[in-house]
Amino acid sequence: MPTVMAEQPMGGVRRAPSALHVIRAIANRELALGAKRKLVRLLFLGSILPPLVLAVILVVKTMAEQMSGFEFGFDPMIQFLTFQSLPVALLALGLGTPIVARDRAEEVLFLYSTRPVLPWHYALGKMFAVAIPVAALLLFPGVLIAIFRVGIIGNITTLGALWMVAKLSVAAMAVAIGFAGVTVGPSAITRKARWALFLALALFTVPDSVVQAGAALLDIDNPWPGGPNTGIRVLLEALFDGGPNGLIGMLVLFGYGAFGYFATTWRVRSEMTP
Amino acid sequence: MTWIELNQVNLDRGGRPVLRSLSASLAGRAIGLVGANGAGKSTLIGAMLGVLRAKSGDIRVLGLELPAAALELRARAGVMAEQAGIFPGGSGVDAVCFAGQLTGLHRREALRRAHRALDALDVGEERYRETSGYSTGMRQRCKLAMSLVHDPEVLILDEPTVGLDPVGRLQLLSLIRDLRDEGRRILLSTHIMQDAEFLCDDMLLIEAGVVAYAGPVDKLVAGGRETYLAEGDGLDAAFGRLLGERGLEILEPQGPHQIRFRSQSDADLGVFWKLAAEHAVEIRRLGPEIRSLEDAVVHVMTGTDGETPSTNATERPEIEAGAHENQTLLDASSVAAEARRTMSGTRTQVETKSEERGPTR
Repeated sequence: MPTVMAEQPMGGVRRAPSALHVIRAIANRELALGAKRKLVRLLFLGSILPPLVLAVILVVKTMAEQMSGFEFGFDPMIQFLTFQSLPVALLALGLGTPIVARDRAEEVLFLYSTRPVLPWHYALGKMFAVAIPVAALLLFPGVLIAIFRVGIIGNITTLGALWMVAKLSVAAMAVAIGFAGVTVGPSAITRKARWALFLALALFTVPDSVVQAGAALLDIDNPWPGGPNTGIRVLLEALFDGGPNGLIGMLVLFGYGAFGYFATTWRVRSEMTP
Repeated sequence: MTWIELNQVNLDRGGRPVLRSLSASLAGRAIGLVGANGAGKSTLIGAMLGVLRAKSGDIRVLGLELPAAALELRARAGVMAEQAGIFPGGSGVDAVCFAGQLTGLHRREALRRAHRALDALDVGEERYRETSGYSTGMRQRCKLAMSLVHDPEVLILDEPTVGLDPVGRLQLLSLIRDLRDEGRRILLSTHIMQDAEFLCDDMLLIEAGVVAYAGPVDKLVAGGRETYLAEGDGLDAAFGRLLGERGLEILEPQGPHQIRFRSQSDADLGVFWKLAAEHAVEIRRLGPEIRSLEDAVVHVMTGTDGETPSTNATERPEIEAGAHENQTLLDASSVAAEARRTMSGTRTQVETKSEERGPTR
């Protein structure tokens, strides 16, 4: 008998892979493809710079406090996170906006449906591919800073460092979900990555502008966040500076995540057919 | 063993019925799914993969009920879809490896099997190139490797030879035949009859969403009845009328110096020889008519075999091709001519042959 595959058959009855396996495979592939792109690599490097700057600020601040005996009384963590969200947003845009549009342009959505892949596997896989680096780029520097502050500078306790990491984890998760939704959702809506980029940029700017304009018109002092940027700011202020409306900020980010998820599953469901 | 069972399947798309009371049981190692463009082939494949949901009826593939067991079936089947490309953005081996991972293989195993599949399909160093620069032939090979990487029990191939040059087409068909001979079951959707004839032992012919024929290719080609073709000088319409007067059923169309007739027994052949001797007709050839699959399909679709047409699809008998006994030729009636016209790839040849044989019903 000829053997084309030159391979022993796997044997046994094949089972469908777990959802986790499929989602991980899709996310890993997108991350690998993203890592091959120069723009994404550049944006990734750009996202590593702020933690280095923060480390320098922390060291200088601590040295100045020790030399002068004067407490400056500010925590640079919130400034770091607010600033860090900008390059991370750019990275999310670079990674996320072509992620579904490319599959649609190449007409491979049906290809997924011929494998044991469901629309929600696909959507979550794509969103994780954006959310994982975003969360990592917020979380890991924060963890390193916490270790730095406990072990080298010694200006917080271990418990304080753990509390800081816990708050940072919440912030990183919310931002990652929000950014994944803001970038993957537009990618599912249009076939061209550049249109997806414009749409995503509009989501980053237009809702905030509308809310600000409405607040100015109605003379509201502290309006609720409308866009992802103000959502992040409000959440970070609540977590690290005792500001109000932290939960609202988190809900706004989750809302954008939900938009990305539902836009993608809706699109995939309609196009995963022969 | 029957591995495709369709029982009264009805499926609508966009409010339009696409599959209508589709029933068939198919057991062949390689099954050809044949029909004109828009006949419902891709829709049937979609339903068999659980992607499209039937409005009513039962679909079982490999004993798995669909769409409930769709994910398990997709893990056990390899699909090469005409309308889907290759996973974009990477090299050929990346795409094949990813296809393996999606069916449950871990990355290292998927990569090893991807290389094996590409080796088997004679894809050399090109596997490391970006797939966007692949030729049509290379794309088809890569797509086949993607469907093979996880060692599937069933291969569902939708127009695998579209766009290939004759040499590439023959190579790919030979590969698919080897895969069949390895023991894999194959469902080949095509409207290129030569491809189906080359590979398939069973045939499911769909027309306007209903089964027009389901059964072995051999019997479809043989006509399924005792049709004889005689060639020789003096075989003309007058001779045909004389045969008719002696009780033989003369079949249309007739060519020059040719007569087609139905022979139920040796006695009928005796009548033919006797009449030929009486009229000094020189017979050069007499034997059962063997048609090409293309001719046979056209006969089924246009109903020129003398079957009584039944225009109501729901009245058509169900076909148990698994038993290979009850295969039934069903007429194409009202939509046959249109379907024949739209059957790209074979259109010119089909029309020419059809015109030679005279008008169809």
